[in-house]
Amino acid sequence: MPMVLLECDKDIPEREKHIYLKVDGEDTRDFLPVSNAQTIPGTLSERGCAFCGAKLVIGGVLKDTIQMIHGPIGCAYDTWHTKRYPTDNGHFNMKYVWSTDMKESHIVFGGEKRLEKSINEAFDEMPEIKRMFVYTTCPTALIGDDIKAVAKKIMQERPDVDIFTVECPGFAGVSQSKGHHVLNIGWINEKVGTLEPTITSEFTMNFIGDFNIQGDTQLLNQYWDKLGIQVIAHFTGNGTYDDLRCMHRAQLNVVNCARSSGYIANELKKQYGIPRLDIDSWGFSYMEEAIRKICAFFGIEDRGEKLIAEENAKWKGKLDWYKERLKGSKMAIWTGGPRLWHWTKSVEDDLGVQVVAMSSKFGHQEDFEKVIARGQAGTYYIDDGNELEFFEIIDRVRPDVIFTGPRVGELVKKLHIPYVNGHGYHNGPYMGFEGFVNLARDMYNAVHNPLLKLAATDIRVKEVVAYREAAE
Amino acid sequence: MGCEITTKKRQGIINPMYDCQPAGAQYAGIGIKDCIPLVHGGQGCSMFVRLLFAQHFKENFDVASTSLHEDSAVFGGHQRIIDGVLTLVRRYPDLRVIPVITTCSTEVIGDDVEGNITKINEMLKVEFPDRKVHVVAVHTPSFKSSQVGGYSQCVEAVIKNLATAKVKSNGKINLFPGWVNPGDVVLLKHYLSEMGIDGTILMDTEDFDSPMLPDKSIHTHGRTTVEELAGTSGAIASVALARYEGASAAEYLEKEFEVPAHVVSTPYGIGNTDALLRTLSEITGKPIPESLVKERGLAVDALQDLAHMFFANKRVAIFGHPDMVIGMAEFCLEVELEPALLLLGDDNSKYKKDPRILALKARANWDMEVVCNADLWELEKRAKDPDYKIDVILGHSKGRYVAIDNNIPMARVGFPTFDRAGLYRHPTMGYRGAMLLGEAIANAMFAHMEYTRDREWILNTW
Repeated sequence: MPMVLLECDKDIPEREKHIYLKVDGEDTRDFLPVSNAQTIPGTLSERGCAFCGAKLVIGGVLKDTIQMIHGPIGCAYDTWHTKRYPTDNGHFNMKYVWSTDMKESHIVFGGEKRLEKSINEAFDEMPEIKRMFVYTTCPTALIGDDIKAVAKKIMQERPDVDIFTVECPGFAGVSQSKGHHVLNIGWINEKVGTLEPTITSEFTMNFIGDFNIQGDTQLLNQYWDKLGIQVIAHFTGNGTYDDLRCMHRAQLNVVNCARSSGYIANELKKQYGIPRLDIDSWGFSYMEEAIRKICAFFGIEDRGEKLIAEENAKWKGKLDWYKERLKGSKMAIWTGGPRLWHWTKSVEDDLGVQVVAMSSKFGHQEDFEKVIARGQAGTYYIDDGNELEFFEIIDRVRPDVIFTGPRVGELVKKLHIPYVNGHGYHNGPYMGFEGFVNLARDMYNAVHNPLLKLAATDIRVKEVVAYREAAE
Repeated sequence: MGCEITTKKRQGIINPMYDCQPAGAQYAGIGIKDCIPLVHGGQGCSMFVRLLFAQHFKENFDVASTSLHEDSAVFGGHQRIIDGVLTLVRRYPDLRVIPVITTCSTEVIGDDVEGNITKINEMLKVEFPDRKVHVVAVHTPSFKSSQVGGYSQCVEAVIKNLATAKVKSNGKINLFPGWVNPGDVVLLKHYLSEMGIDGTILMDTEDFDSPMLPDKSIHTHGRTTVEELAGTSGAIASVALARYEGASAAEYLEKEFEVPAHVVSTPYGIGNTDALLRTLSEITGKPIPESLVKERGLAVDALQDLAHMFFANKRVAIFGHPDMVIGMAEFCLEVELEPALLLLGDDNSKYKKDPRILALKARANWDMEVVCNADLWELEKRAKDPDYKIDVILGHSKGRYVAIDNNIPMARVGFPTFDRAGLYRHPTMGYRGAMLLGEAIANAMFAHMEYTRDREWILNTW
């Protein structure tokens, strides 16, 4: 039986459709977990909401933009200090969050006036900032505040500011994925094409679906600089509001995270005829392939080969040192969705690591098609995994390390399994050649953490071997 | 000279000090043993709060969601409450309490939580005839109050639901510490034990700091049991340490079951701790033991080395939970620090009339400001103002960039303190807490003197 009903799910048998154990000879034409479906209430799922998919994942990355959250205070508080996306201007995006702090009277009488006041206050308090995203939340969507009208009024009164509205309450869709979609489509329809870029190179592209986690964007940018390619807009790592208005002028859209940002690439193709090129930015073999594909598009293959050779000369030896020591290690990946298929084959090819279980919070059908095609037999592929399922899966596959978020990391610590932050990284960046060496190093340091042996030692038992080994 | 009590003039917030009501209710809920709170709202309302707890405690806590979606927004979320509770009860055989915590969305929709719980109780009786699970409605719309009020709401709702009858006197003290760290709970239990008093801690969060064990068992959960909650009506008295975090539950027990409620000054600093111990002694007739006199002496001794040499005339900005901010200000005065700026972060109109605030105002012979409904932008603006002197910041990690960017030493206190290791383990209350806090402030100042080369040589001979 390739679809698996876990013991802990006997009271929610519909979960069987979400958990797949790959067997040799099978592929996604035979079995595909159900995904992007509603979560069963009370299951302790890992999912967030659509609002956070828009604000926390995409909009909040921008380095020059006020993020005004129209709702009670929690939605602002909770999407602040939970991400690691620095910028080259002192991390404005991570330092501040803005809220209209809705109270009961605004729920009863409407919150548009308060929104208008809060927007004006924010621009007045930070006069150097001229750009803003405004988000609805559950209650402001339910009471029907017209945030677009408010934004329009303010843009008329303050001609030097520009405001983008995102109508994406937390209850929309089944996960954060819905928020990615709403923001993508809103931006292309309302803002792309409203500004013209300065073109500085004969080769131009947009880099889409990378959020500068611990400096990913900045690391990859060194490559594009060396290749002589101008990145018109980063969607949205270390990005600016105005750069994103110029996306229509790129010759190519390079897409890393297809789940969060594939929508805008599709629309740019449809509306402006700009081709879409999907790449993987994690891992040596994938990064080489990505550089080759991009360079082939621009006809600068020689530059690409030179860059690949340089980077390999610099980093391959270090990677191999870790590969030698990591091969055969068992890894689990419990993250959002795309990193499952970005990572499973790259850690296998570049590091000799076996990915034994993967769970996706918000992946769609095509994410599971990709990951099952790239992943191994004997591996579990789980949609929207929950806590009890994680315990059971850990018992079955016994991973040496889990790439997941900090909270789940704290949970599995008690089971003596180290985690590496699969969202914000431990010590990144992880993209590109240098980045993958960082990932390998963090994985090595996790798997070989001496405390794990000490944790397993019961001092009441006359056995000092583990203790000695750890000390050595 | 003198103290001004004001309210933030802006309507919006830039960098909030508190999370919303449901977050506070979840914090109270996880303090109960065999309990998983069920948040009735969008998934983010619990997912991010769980992350926040994990950031602060470096631990995982179980909180469930009804996963509200568009269809519920239109047709109501009734079925999702029912499904959520039943799924939890079926899959977690030890579960005994489920607070159903509402959010802004479900309060706007107007789901009848109590009606659904009645229905659920019938279903549970049929499916689990030998098991009693307490399903408690906790109304915490995010557009009212803040995490502070939400904490109080949940404590009160749980007490009201579980302490339904006057039980036989059990000689115990109900101790409501408020939203504090495990380090404080351990300290308070130590005081009770030294005085030979049997107490119920509401909520007992000692195990929020839990070990990695050879057998891989997980003990990260609250310790206050259903029996203890039901037994609160038989206590000899309640002592509430935080006026805004749990005192209402103590007052309920007084009104309903004649359990005398003592709402004391939050025991930050020496004098407030003295008052707490004297109150406990008066209630129980038990003397304050020699051991606590010694602990007190150690703290006074340590603080004496810091006060008039390093702390005097230093202006302190304090932000965080109201009872903590007020208690910290009182502590500051004991060690010659000047509480110059107090920031209280929600629209509770009672703060301005709080007798402790008025007492501080009456005493103030230094420049002092109390800002109500404040955000951290109020702090940042003052920190950037060259004419506004702040020497030390006391507050939680959400204000870290004000300290970093403006080069002001900051000691982390309150919740959350995710950017420093292990703070949840140490008390801030009591004599030991006062001592540790004083030393943390001093060490923050000393490190700052070194990094800024500001008379760091003074410490050559200290």
